[in-house]
Amino acid sequence: MSEEIKTAQKAVSNDFVRKLFKILEAGEYANIICWTETGDSFVVLDTNEFTTKILPQHFKHSNFASFVRQLNKYDFHKVKRTSEQKQSSQYGEHSWEFKHPFFHVHDEMALDNIKRKSAVQKKIMLDDNTVLVKQGSEGSGIDADSATSLIFNSTVSKAKFNQLKRKVEVLEQESQHIKNENYELKLGYQKLQSRYNTMIGSFLTSKSHSERLVAKFNALTNCLSSQGFELPQEVSYNVAEPPAPKSPRNTQSPTFETMVPTNIPPQKLPSAANSGPSSGTPNEVVDHPILRAGFHVLLVEDDSICIQLCSKFLMKYGCSVEVVTDGLSAISTLEKFRYDLVLMDIVMPNLDGATATSIVRSFDNHTPIIAMTGNIEDQDLVTYLQHGMNDILAKPFTRDDLHSMLIRYLRNRVPLSEQRGEVAPKDPGSAELIQEDAVSNLISTEPQMKKQHI
Amino acid sequence: MSTTITTTPIPREVVNWDILDEIVSLDEDNPDFSRNLIEQFLEQASTTFAQIDAELQGKRDLAQLASLGHFLRGSSAALGLQRIAWACERIQNLGRKREGAADPAAPLSDDFYADQIASALAQARVEFDVARQELSKFYGTLL
Repeated sequence: MSEEIKTAQKAVSNDFVRKLFKILEAGEYANIICWTETGDSFVVLDTNEFTTKILPQHFKHSNFASFVRQLNKYDFHKVKRTSEQKQSSQYGEHSWEFKHPFFHVHDEMALDNIKRKSAVQKKIMLDDNTVLVKQGSEGSGIDADSATSLIFNSTVSKAKFNQLKRKVEVLEQESQHIKNENYELKLGYQKLQSRYNTMIGSFLTSKSHSERLVAKFNALTNCLSSQGFELPQEVSYNVAEPPAPKSPRNTQSPTFETMVPTNIPPQKLPSAANSGPSSGTPNEVVDHPILRAGFHVLLVEDDSICIQLCSKFLMKYGCSVEVVTDGLSAISTLEKFRYDLVLMDIVMPNLDGATATSIVRSFDNHTPIIAMTGNIEDQDLVTYLQHGMNDILAKPFTRDDLHSMLIRYLRNRVPLSEQRGEVAPKDPGSAELIQEDAVSNLISTEPQMKKQHI
Repeated sequence: MSTTITTTPIPREVVNWDILDEIVSLDEDNPDFSRNLIEQFLEQASTTFAQIDAELQGKRDLAQLASLGHFLRGSSAALGLQRIAWACERIQNLGRKREGAADPAAPLSDDFYADQIASALAQARVEFDVARQELSKFYGTLL
């Protein structure tokens, strides 16, 4: 029984040789491939014709070289000839002659003896081991053969390959085209984006410009009306929301009546927080007429005494105060947080106030920055303004000096904290409480600050 | 630029009460606020004078001297101690060589300015003592 299987296997295993034998016997392609006159070898007369006509139809080899390799595996050998022999060969100079001891004309029986060389070699090699391995190796010989046929089956034909190749090329072109298109779209988008950004920027600057103009215009109309000029009602112009009804007790003072917008009726406040001392100076009476509470002010100052004084004044006017003690901290603080107003000393450690302002102006064009300085020579003042500072508060300043500066930049404005709706407006009582804390904090940190700058 | 910078005359009053009164009025809701500040200032001034002295004995760096003068000038002026502030401003200006004959053709030596600063410092110390007396009288306690 095992004999039968073996024969069958052999019959299958040298299928390639039998095919070749049949072609030679049929003589259909005698001008391409034929037996030699002796009948113990065969000749491929025209390798080109053989490759194009016979290989695709009868074998799975795509080129002549691979056909020859297969022949070698079955132990066929090319009959070697010298160049003279080649030239005198009756089959032509380019003919290939192959030979196998069992491959003869009309001798089909002998074909049984032709075996695949690689499998045989394996068997011999493995013979040194066990019988079991030998049987296994015979199986593996078949496996190898079926593997080759599997490879041949799954190999695509040249035509199909070319077709696919063309397809891939077309797809590549299309993808390149789409890439280009996408790139152009991106470019266009970026251009639009930058144009949009510049537009936003110019809108914002024109907004702040017009706000400044309106403020100046209002000041002018107030001034004119106080001088006795009669102005038509339409002339007054309000951009911002009406200020909070926080006005002090004695707004009846004629000098301040002119500053109060006519649409705000003066209201009285609980006097506890804002009452001046009984022995107070006349200035006490003239309190903030239209300044809302809740403005957030950044105080940039290196001297602890000035810090305490200035922040105390600011808190009196209902502002909350944050203090930093040098120009670099001012920049980093303004990068992170927004303030309604900045009061900036000029001579400070790390970075002076003017330079700090010019850097702040590179990212913040809106926050008013007021210089506080004792150097009030003309040349210095021009420098400060050129660095982007809005105004100058000469040191030492009185409460009124500070107040008129606050009025100039914060009148008719709503504190940022209220705009964002994050912080509810504080009533004077609670504000006062926080202020006390802040002051005591300042005093407690005072020795440290001294160390910083001395 | 002009060759000389005219110095403003020293204020007549030791204390500018317009300024100090305003600060004293803040005591209303924060008792001892003004006295606290004054005491801080007196300490700050003593320290700064000592630093100016040390600088004059040592490197005599004019920029550093000007910076110290500027520093004390700011806080003294803020409290209305105007004669001290005036003396400090002189120290600042001398440190920047903005006082005296600042003729570019014949520049004065750094030592000249340092010596001038030494005399301005002496004057500042005198003003400091006078101011301390007046403030002690005002607060009714020895400061």
